[in-house]
Formats: sequence, structure tokens, C-alpha cells
Amino acid sequence: MTVLFLGGCNLDTRMTTFVTKGPVAETQYDLFMLTVWVTLGIFIAVGGAFAFAIIKFRERPDDERPMPSQGHGNPLVEIGLIGASILLLVIIAVPTLQGIWYTHDTPEDPESFMGAWYSGEELAEEEADNPLIVKVIGYQWWWAFEYPQLGITTANEMVIPAGKVVHIELRSFDVIHSFWLPRIAGKVDLIPGRTNSMWIQAGDNFLRWKEKQGVAGPEEESPALRADYAAYLEEEIHNYYYGQCAEYCGDSHARMHFRATVVDNKEFAEWVIDERTGHGTPDGKTWDDWYAAYADNPDSLTGDLNEGLKLFMGRAKCATCHVVKGNPRALGVAGPNLTNVGSRMSIAAGWLNHRIEEDGSIDLEKQYDNFYKWIKETDVVKPGNRMWKAGGGGIGELIDENGELALLTEDEIHKLSLYLQSLK
Amino acid sequence: MSQTETEIHAPSTTQAPKTHELKPEPSQLGFMRPDHSKSVIMDWLTTVDHKKIGIMYGAIALFFLLVGGFEALIIRTQLAFPENDLISAQRYNQLFTMHGTTMIFLAIMPLNAAFFNFLVPLQIGARDVAFPRINSFSLWAFVAGAIVINFGWVLQALQVMGLFEASGPTAGMTDLAPAMGWFGYAPLTGTNFTGAGTDFWIMGLQILGIASLSAAMNFVVTIVNMRAPGMKMMRMPVFTWMTLVVSLLIVFAFPAITIALGQLMFDRCFGTNFFVVAGGGQPILWQHLFWIFGHPEVYILVLPAMGIISEILPVFSKKPLFGYSIVVFSGAVIGFLGFAVWSHHMFTTGLGKVATAAFSLLTMAIAVPTGVKIFNWIGTLWGGRVRFSAPMIFSLGFVWMFMMGGFSGIMHSSAPADAQQQDSYFVIAHFHYVAIGGIFLAVVAGIYFWLPKMIGKMWKGNLSTWVAIFSTVGLNVTFFPMHFLGLLGMPRRTHTYLEGFGWETYNLVCTIGAYILAFGILLLVVDIIRCFRNGEPAGNDPWDARTLEWATTSPPQVYNFAKTPIIPARDALWEDKYGPENRKITHEDDHGHGIHMPSQSWMPFIAALGFIPVGLGMSLMQAGVPYMGYVAIFGLLVLGLGIALWAIEGPGGYHMHPEVDAA
Repeated sequence: MTVLFLGGCNLDTRMTTFVTKGPVAETQYDLFMLTVWVTLGIFIAVGGAFAFAIIKFRERPDDERPMPSQGHGNPLVEIGLIGASILLLVIIAVPTLQGIWYTHDTPEDPESFMGAWYSGEELAEEEADNPLIVKVIGYQWWWAFEYPQLGITTANEMVIPAGKVVHIELRSFDVIHSFWLPRIAGKVDLIPGRTNSMWIQAGDNFLRWKEKQGVAGPEEESPALRADYAAYLEEEIHNYYYGQCAEYCGDSHARMHFRATVVDNKEFAEWVIDERTGHGTPDGKTWDDWYAAYADNPDSLTGDLNEGLKLFMGRAKCATCHVVKGNPRALGVAGPNLTNVGSRMSIAAGWLNHRIEEDGSIDLEKQYDNFYKWIKETDVVKPGNRMWKAGGGGIGELIDENGELALLTEDEIHKLSLYLQSLK
Repeated sequence: MSQTETEIHAPSTTQAPKTHELKPEPSQLGFMRPDHSKSVIMDWLTTVDHKKIGIMYGAIALFFLLVGGFEALIIRTQLAFPENDLISAQRYNQLFTMHGTTMIFLAIMPLNAAFFNFLVPLQIGARDVAFPRINSFSLWAFVAGAIVINFGWVLQALQVMGLFEASGPTAGMTDLAPAMGWFGYAPLTGTNFTGAGTDFWIMGLQILGIASLSAAMNFVVTIVNMRAPGMKMMRMPVFTWMTLVVSLLIVFAFPAITIALGQLMFDRCFGTNFFVVAGGGQPILWQHLFWIFGHPEVYILVLPAMGIISEILPVFSKKPLFGYSIVVFSGAVIGFLGFAVWSHHMFTTGLGKVATAAFSLLTMAIAVPTGVKIFNWIGTLWGGRVRFSAPMIFSLGFVWMFMMGGFSGIMHSSAPADAQQQDSYFVIAHFHYVAIGGIFLAVVAGIYFWLPKMIGKMWKGNLSTWVAIFSTVGLNVTFFPMHFLGLLGMPRRTHTYLEGFGWETYNLVCTIGAYILAFGILLLVVDIIRCFRNGEPAGNDPWDARTLEWATTSPPQVYNFAKTPIIPARDALWEDKYGPENRKITHEDDHGHGIHMPSQSWMPFIAALGFIPVGLGMSLMQAGVPYMGYVAIFGLLVLGLGIALWAIEGPGGYHMHPEVDAA
């Protein structure tokens, strides 16, 4: 049966633990396979003895054999089998202990220190000897990713450099969640009231990669080898990885996905600058001018994007809960940071996707549909979520001057979707 | 002083006639005791007979097994296709919560209790359990808990029909049946995250805990004190041994959950902060308290199954259990170690290296006594004469499937590997192999083995073979692919999933398997009904068995044994049939005073009934229904009154004088 499944099915899927892309997941997978082989061995031995006993000692018709001996057991057999069991467990136990120690503490890897690879600007001096730190904060039902060393925050889609240790700090805003990026690392929980940590690394570092290539000696270093290593990262590691919350966290637990985009150092630095810069106004005005116009004569701001932005700041109340970097008045922190939300491959915490799998680009039509769907029926896409109903502040609770329920119109949703799409 | 008491205190002077017309007598309260009633309903409601109580446990548990199974089928149907919208997220979450809660507390535990009740006094040659009225109380408290915990569904139905809306502390919450998982991890159980369903769950579980605790203490006392002469501890049947171990586990494990549930109730109802982060509480505390109960609970569920198997394999191999003392000892070791591995449910919570390593190693260690049992079962078959009767087929299936579940358990014990498996479908595969492939198959084996003893009728035909085929095939088709689903990254407790993750085929296969399994269980129900309706008389010992329960009639008389047996050896009946002359069962002389029987009583039933207003009152109060606090207090008064009257009415009792020859 096992063979049938292994032979017949693709094990290299989006959230597989079989085809790993990092040392943590690889350690975990190796340990798993060790347990598989040991238990398979036991299965063959014990299962074989069991099947043999059933067949050999079955009662036959007209059984003439004498009554079986009424013996009560054999201490030597017992002790032998207990000893053998303990021995087999030791085979698992020793690498398990090694694995626990290896996966637990963030390694001190000089090549992963920020100073060694981060080419972007404005890195505090004391951070040069630290690895990249990402603070993951779980909310019902989305993720905030903070990069404290770089002063940026994003949501639901994190970006990390390939081949570098990343130290992850895990906290929760409300209930328990669990951070699971199967191809890169097993899960660790986000528990309210405490901070957990883990480390992840997409792809091997240079040393580990060299060892696997069988290149002798840790001192072995050459530009050609470096180029091969870069090619390995480029071909095998740079990718878009799928993760999901793995601890039951209420109504929409199933819809609490996240993504990790693994890029090279240069792209990472560019992404950071992009995130820091944020967005200007749709028509190129300065934000001050735009807000002055918005206050004095909002009708002078025309076009779908301006209309969308006005809704964002005004009637739809988006800015109460969402940050858009650049926009000095979109400062709400109760919801996901929307800086560059138009560049993300998914929205609604990975539930609504618009990535074209073949080339990793965005399907713009699908993206528009997804924004539209999300704003129109937030509570259907993610039942129980606080964007729809939040004690009077949700977009499912918008009211007009008379206090009557007045949800966003189709035209308003259309303009908001276009505006959000433009945030890239 | 009543006539009954006179009889108790001076039995040897009262020379009763051989045939004795039995009539109800008044209790010390002045009411007539409900003994010897012509009304069947009254007789069963007030019974203190361990056999009737056992049968009621079994019947109610089988009903809830079907309920839990039905919930599972809806779950599997929802998951058959990606982004299926058969049921809403909330309904799905309620279903998986209640599926787990129902199967553990309302199906498997009471099924085990059914066997404990029916068998233990018979296996040790006792007339009944030590505290017959407490036994009755345990049963009815269990029923009360089951009603409370399921009442949320009624309220939810009203809510769906628009007839009910939660107000008060849980205003605006729409989950009126439990929706926070059977493990109830804080802080999701707080009033700001879940509604009154959680309160029904807390109160129901608390009541079920009281039922389990009182039953467990009863069995400890029974097994320690009420054994027939000569039934030394190391002569006891293994099933009785496992009952003892499990009862001790319950006594030590349940207080942890009792406390945790009490704290949670105070958090929700009275504003304390045990698990509320904002008030300085620690959600992780709940996990420790829950699992220090929860892991022994796993063995509370599985050890009786191992006991059943250890009874059946020897009978159908015509050999004593291989390594009896080691099997008993390993059961005790499993029970003991069961308290030392709880944190392996928490490997991903950031325990730290040392704790993770310790719990990892201890978890591996528990594989040794478990393996020992499997070795000894194979040793029992070895050199024997294996008969493939229905109980044996299921027992052999048990060993095979339980072994598979054990292997994935070893895989979890390696903490780093578990980081990928935890909370994925891999875990679901693991514990369903243990729960269905293990416990369920063992319970079915037990039903096939002992039902003839319970009702005095023998199985007809070989439908059991089809039950075995469908349930085993169904179980494997459902749960084997789940190993792969988990390793391909599908998390548990998700009401739906996206296309494109490679989970579609596996899920569809699992769903098909679930229906095959369900069909197998349906056939089992049909077979049980057939046995009741058309079974031929079974006789005392239809399987050529080994232990004492087969020495008495089928079904056993109300007094079990007409004369107290004196036990000369382990496997007493077998030795009596085939052993040397000095190992025959002899009997104590009753010196003519007959058998002292306990009186039936309404009081345990009334006391337990008080739990229903307590549980519903507290929960409905949380849902904002007015005056429900008073209802809860009223329930406490009923409970107190029942217990007080129970104490005052006196134990009563009467004597029976069975014709010794007829037994």
C-alpha cells in the first residue's frame, strides 16, 4: 500500500514535507525517515512473526494434535525482546536529541549576519552581527510580519533572503496560532502572553552546500564555486512558498494562510526600499496638497483611483485599521499593513490567489476580482472576521446619515478595488 | 429497626425457607423501596445491578457511537472536494469538536464502562460492585452530562430557526454548540471568542468527570476488596487488572481536568483571569492541565481494549496468556508513564530544549511496554490452536492495526519530526489507527465475545466476517491516506482547503473510506439486533473459555454466583475443566442464610438528575436566558437532597436463596 501511494502520487507539492528547501525542514525530514525505516523493520519482523503464528498455528479440521502446552511464558524471550526494543529506540533517540538541539537555537552563522549580506541602506551598526529578525504576530485570521531592524511591516506575504538564517519571533494578538512553512521548517506556536522563537533558512548556506557537493575542506573557496552556489540558490531555492496556520484558532482557521517569497540579497534590499518608500497620491500631488484638496473641494479629485482613495480615507473607513506607507493619515494598525498590497500574489491571508504559477506573475484580472470579492463579501470569504463586523466599525456595518445600513455600492467597491490594485 | 436490618445483623439465626417470596420493603424514610418492581422502566431506572447498569452503559454508548460517527460522516463529506460549501465553517468546527468529545467521553469511555460493570464482579467472583448505588449514580450522572453537553445542538437549532439569540455575557456569539475543539485551548475558550457552546462543554465535561471519578473509585474498591476467596491479585483476569489500572488512572488524572474546567468556568462566568492574558493569566497553563489529564486519558481509553484482547487471544488459542505477569506489569507501567509524557502534545509550544528532549525520550520509553504487550500476544498464539471465531478475527485485526498506530506514535516521539506532523492530518491518521483500529476493533471483539454471556443468546450466521471486512477496509482506506495528507501539509481542523495543494485525491479517497467504515458499523448494529431477536440459547460457556464469568449462567442470575466460588488458580474455569483435581473450583457453604442482595433506590437517579439543571442553568445563564442562575441553584438543591435522602434511607437489602442445583 505504501509503495502504491509513493509510486502513484506526487510528493513535491506546495506544502510538502518530503521535498525540503532548508536545513531545518531537512533535519526534520531525515529524522522522520529514520523513524520510518526503523518502524518498517519492526513491522516486517513483528508483523511477519504475527502472520506466521496465525497461519502456522491455525486450527485445522479434525485437528488431532494434543492440547497445546499450557505454559505461561519465557522470561528469556521477554528480556531479549525488551532489550531489542530499547536498542531500536536508542537508534532513534540519539539523532532526535541532536535534532532538537540543532533546530532549537538560532545558529551563529557569520555569513548570515546582516552586515555580511545586506546591501541596503540604514542598518544600525549593532545589527551588523545579528541575523535578520522577523517578528510574526498572529491575528484572527491573518499575519503581521515586522522587520524591526529595517523598520518595515508587511502582512501575510513575507520576503526573506535565500541561504540566510532568519530568526523568527512569534507572538499572538488574540488566540493561539501556529507558524508552519512546511518546506522550510516545521511549526512553532504563537501563544498570547509569551514570545516563542524559531529559526528558518531557505536553502543551505555555502558551507552546508559545499559539504553536500563533496567539496573537500571548509577552507575551499573559489569564485567558480561561489557562482555554482548562487546558481543553486537561484534555481532551487528562489521561489514562492506556501504556509498556513496549524493551530485551530476559530471560525476561519482554514483560511489563515501565509506566503514566503525567497529572493536573493539584491532583490531583498530593493524590496525593503520599496516597502519603506511606500506610495504617493494617484495623480502625483504631494500628500499635503491632496489632503488640502480633499478637505476643501473633494470633487476636484477625479478619476477612479482618486475616487478609490477618497473612499479609502472616507466612507469605507479603511484607513482606520490599515497602514499604507507614504500616506500620512492611513495609520490604523488593527488590520494588515497594505503597503504594496497590489504586488502581493494573494489577499485575504492567502485565501484569494492571483499568482500565475507558470511564471510567478500576477493575473491582474483575477487580482481585481479578488479585491472586489473580498470587499463585497468579506464575511463569506472569511466568516467571523473583524473587517466585516467590529462593533460598528466594520464595512458590513456602514451606515448613512440617517443611521440606516448603507453597504458599499458596486461602483464604490469597483473603485476601491482599482485603488488597492494600484498599490504596488 | 426494619426487618431487613435485623436480617443483616443476625443472618445465621434466621433460617429462611428455600423458596422465598420477595416483596418490596419500606426504607428508613418510610417509602417503599423500588425492589422487585413489576414495572420494567422503574426497575431499570432504580437498578443497582452491575449487569443491568453495564448493559445501559453499552446501549447508550453505542447510540453515541452512531451519533459521533454521523458527525464524522458530515465532516468527511464536507472535505470530499476543495472549497466545498456543504456546511459553514462554524458548523464544521462544532462538528469536529463534538465528534471528538462524543467519541471519547460518550462512546469509548462508556463502552469500556459497560465492560467494566458487566464483567469485573463476574470475573472476580463477587456478587456486585462494592457500592451498588454509587454505580447507579455514575450511570445517571453520565447520562446527565451527555444531555448537557449535547443540549447546545438544540439551542443552535433554535438559533438557526430564528427563535433564539444569545445575550448577556456572550451576546452576539452564534456558536451555541461547542466550537472550540475537544481540547478547548485557552484563550479561544474565553467569552470574547466563543459563545455559550463552550459553557455547555465545560458543564457537561465536569459532570461526566464526576461520573467517571465515582465509577473509578467504585471499581478500585471492588477489585481490591471484593475478590472471591483464592482470587489473588496475580490470579485476576487481565481485563480486571486493566480495569484496576484504568480506574486508578481516572482517579489521578481527572482531578486535573476538573480543576482546569473549574478555573475556566470561573473565567467565563465570574470574571477571574486564570487564562485571560490581559488579566495576567497564562493560556499555556490550560494546555499543561489539559494534557496531564489528556494523555492518561488516552490510556484510559486503550488499556481496557488491551485487557479485552488479552482475554480473547488465550481462549481462541487454547493457551494461557503468554507472560501474564509481564502483560499485567507492562499495563501498569504504561499507566504510570502515561503521566510523564503529556508535553509531547505540546512539542510546538516552545517548551525549550531540555523539556522537549525529556518528553521526547519518555515518549519513546512508553513504546517499550506497549511493544511488550504485542510480543506477548504473539507469544500467546505461538504453539496454540488458533480458532477464527468472530471475537478472534477482530482481536487479530486489533493487534495488526494497533501496531500500525503504534508505529506512527513512535514517529511522533521524535520531537523535530513531530514539528512537521503536529496538528496535521498525520496525527489524525495516527490516533484513528489507535482509536478505531485499536480500541474500536477491541470493543467489537469484546461485544462478539461477551454478548452471549450478557443476553444468553448466541450469534447467528457469519455477518461478523462482513463487519470485519468492511470496518477494516474502511478504516484503512479512510486513514492510511491521511498520513500522506499530513505530510503534504494539510493542517487539522480546517473546514475546507484550496485546490492545487495536492490534497484533492487523498481527501476524496478518505471520504469514500469513511462511508465503507460506516457501512461496516451499520452491519454490526444489524448483527447485534439479529442476535437479540433470533439468537439460540448460548449456554454457560459457548467459547470453551478460561475465566470465571463463564462458570455462571448466561445471562447471569441477579446474584451472579449461587455460592461464592473458591479460586484455586489463574484461568479458574479452564483449570476446572481441564486441570488436575486439586484445581477444581469449589464453593463456600452459605450456611443457609442465602445471598445478601442490595436494595434498589431512586436516590442515585434523583441526585444525578440534579446535574441537568445545574449544567443547563449555568450554560443558559451565559447565553443570557433570564433566571437561569436560579435553575442552577435548584439543580444543586436536587443533587444535595438526593444525596441526603440516599444517606438517610439506609442501605436496605434482602436475601435470596437460589436453588443451588439450578445454578
